Amino acid sequence: MVETGIPKLDEYLKGGIPRGKTLVYLNHPGVEGDVFGMQTLYHNLQKGAVCVYVTSSSNPGTMKDQFKEFGWNVHQFEDTLLIIDAYSSLIGALSNENFVVSDPENIGNMTEMIDKAMKEVPKGSIIMLGSLSTIMDLCGEEDTLKAVKIWNKLALLRDHVIIYNFTTWPYEESTLNSIKTELFNSVITVGGIAERVIFGQYFGVLKADWSDTKIKSMLFRVLRPGGIKIYIPKILVTGPFNAGKSSFIHSLSNRAVSVDRLGTTIALDHGHIEYKGFSAEIFGTPGQERFDPIIQMISGEAMGIFLVVDSTLPKDFIRAKQMLEITKGYGLPYVIIANKQDLPGALHVDEIRSHFNIPEDVPIIPTIATSKEGVFEAFDVLVEKITGGN
Amino acid sequence: MERYSLGIDKLDENIQGIRSGYNIMIIGPPMSGKETIINNIVYQGLNDGEAAVIVTTREPGEDVLEWFNYNNLEISLEHLGIVDCVTKTLGVPTSDTANIRRASSPVDLTGIGVKISQFLEEFWMKKNIRKTRLCINSLSTILMYSNIQTVFRFLHVFTGRVKTAGAIGIYLVEEGMHDPQAVATLKQLFDGVIEIKEENDVHYIRTMGLSQKPSKWYEYTVEGAKIVLKDGE
Repeated sequence: MVETGIPKLDEYLKGGIPRGKTLVYLNHPGVEGDVFGMQTLYHNLQKGAVCVYVTSSSNPGTMKDQFKEFGWNVHQFEDTLLIIDAYSSLIGALSNENFVVSDPENIGNMTEMIDKAMKEVPKGSIIMLGSLSTIMDLCGEEDTLKAVKIWNKLALLRDHVIIYNFTTWPYEESTLNSIKTELFNSVITVGGIAERVIFGQYFGVLKADWSDTKIKSMLFRVLRPGGIKIYIPKILVTGPFNAGKSSFIHSLSNRAVSVDRLGTTIALDHGHIEYKGFSAEIFGTPGQERFDPIIQMISGEAMGIFLVVDSTLPKDFIRAKQMLEITKGYGLPYVIIANKQDLPGALHVDEIRSHFNIPEDVPIIPTIATSKEGVFEAFDVLVEKITGGN
Repeated sequence: MERYSLGIDKLDENIQGIRSGYNIMIIGPPMSGKETIINNIVYQGLNDGEAAVIVTTREPGEDVLEWFNYNNLEISLEHLGIVDCVTKTLGVPTSDTANIRRASSPVDLTGIGVKISQFLEEFWMKKNIRKTRLCINSLSTILMYSNIQTVFRFLHVFTGRVKTAGAIGIYLVEEGMHDPQAVATLKQLFDGVIEIKEENDVHYIRTMGLSQKPSKWYEYTVEGAKIVLKDGE
């Protein structure tokens, strides 16, 4: 299997792309889809794979430099990263690469170079087309589609994996359909959430013929450096007064602020987390009943909930459940944080479960928020529930 | 509905404001001051508190900023984004700045599109600016590297984005560089045209599609950073 190196995606693809198969990143115009291909390439170069990159919209030097923004140095892989230069001839420049497409507007020329490169690299290598849409723009839709079928067959013969980047400009409907449904073994869409402007980006698995993955969409952000991170715009932290919600948020976050008075939260806490390929915003509610209207306001559009309880105070559990109801969180994935496990009299997870009378599949995670114990485990569990991992 | 002004007095009086969502082609012969006109349009927008995104295909982003400096025109850098399609092709090692993001080449329409979208998002979401003008200087360079269908598809997407964002788009085309059919194809995407002609070394400008009737032809001269119009014919 060739991993994509994109958080969650390999899980959805049941480990990655099997040898001999193809994958296309279908990028909506204006969305940072290129980064997916770059991240996949870098991930595999690092693991020692031999990769062939077809560059058709920038010269090889510029192409390699683009990785730098994300903190990835591909210049170190001179021996394992081979370039098919399908750009320099287009602007009449000389090329130092071993594989040069002398006429980028001639698809036959391209096929020749791809074939040549595929034969030179070891079986099971990775071929990446930097921009299939640029090739299509130069060589025409029909000829390009025919050529792609040939390339895919050549790859299959030698167990190579081909990864394509394709920008979905308004081509002929039939072209786009054939790309979406028939040409490739797997199709990953990278799209934008647009209202007046594109303000959010997501990716999803449209197709993967070796796994039964249904379409799943994940919001993502592109960090520089860092690359693609799954983005969770709102996780709510709620629970009774003095359960340790603010401590929990501060322990988990890379940066956090609280609106406090006399040591207790009166408006909200906010924290930002970068962890294991995820980027998330967490919002904490106050615990006192008089602030309940605020909880409702803050809880809109949350994707998951941490319900924090003081493990030594079972009398507060009813209030905790009530708060979960106020957040209208019953439909959302939630995790119970059994906090203050270091204090005398703290109840065990099983005891808390029986007090709460909740289904077995609701996780209860023991934590000591003040010393960060258990907080990242709790994050892992909730994120797993939110992102629909199996 | 929001209206935009060009910053060129007699034309503005005639048009009474350009409607938001409009895409406009500026077409004229070489050396007729089209760049100055486009820079004036950007300057007017920045002065009106709007944002501007300039896609530059002929000179590096720094040179675009330098024009404003050189002419002592103060601009709010907070409101200006430049998509530079030149610097990376020169092989000069550079990185992006707050105002300048660089596409890898004028062929890299995907990259250009991403950078335009990023600026539009930044102005709308982060800076809360509701009016933006997108200026592409020039389409002719892009057409040198990509064929007309490709550029048409690119523009089809981005003229649409300009409409949904309630912005305006200004696209510069060199007259005489393309066959008339290509220009006619592109015109389908535009709501109006700013047309420039030259007769006996005198330059004239008019607008079409931006008011009920085409405007008169105005004789104009470029004086420093200014476009000065005389009374129309």
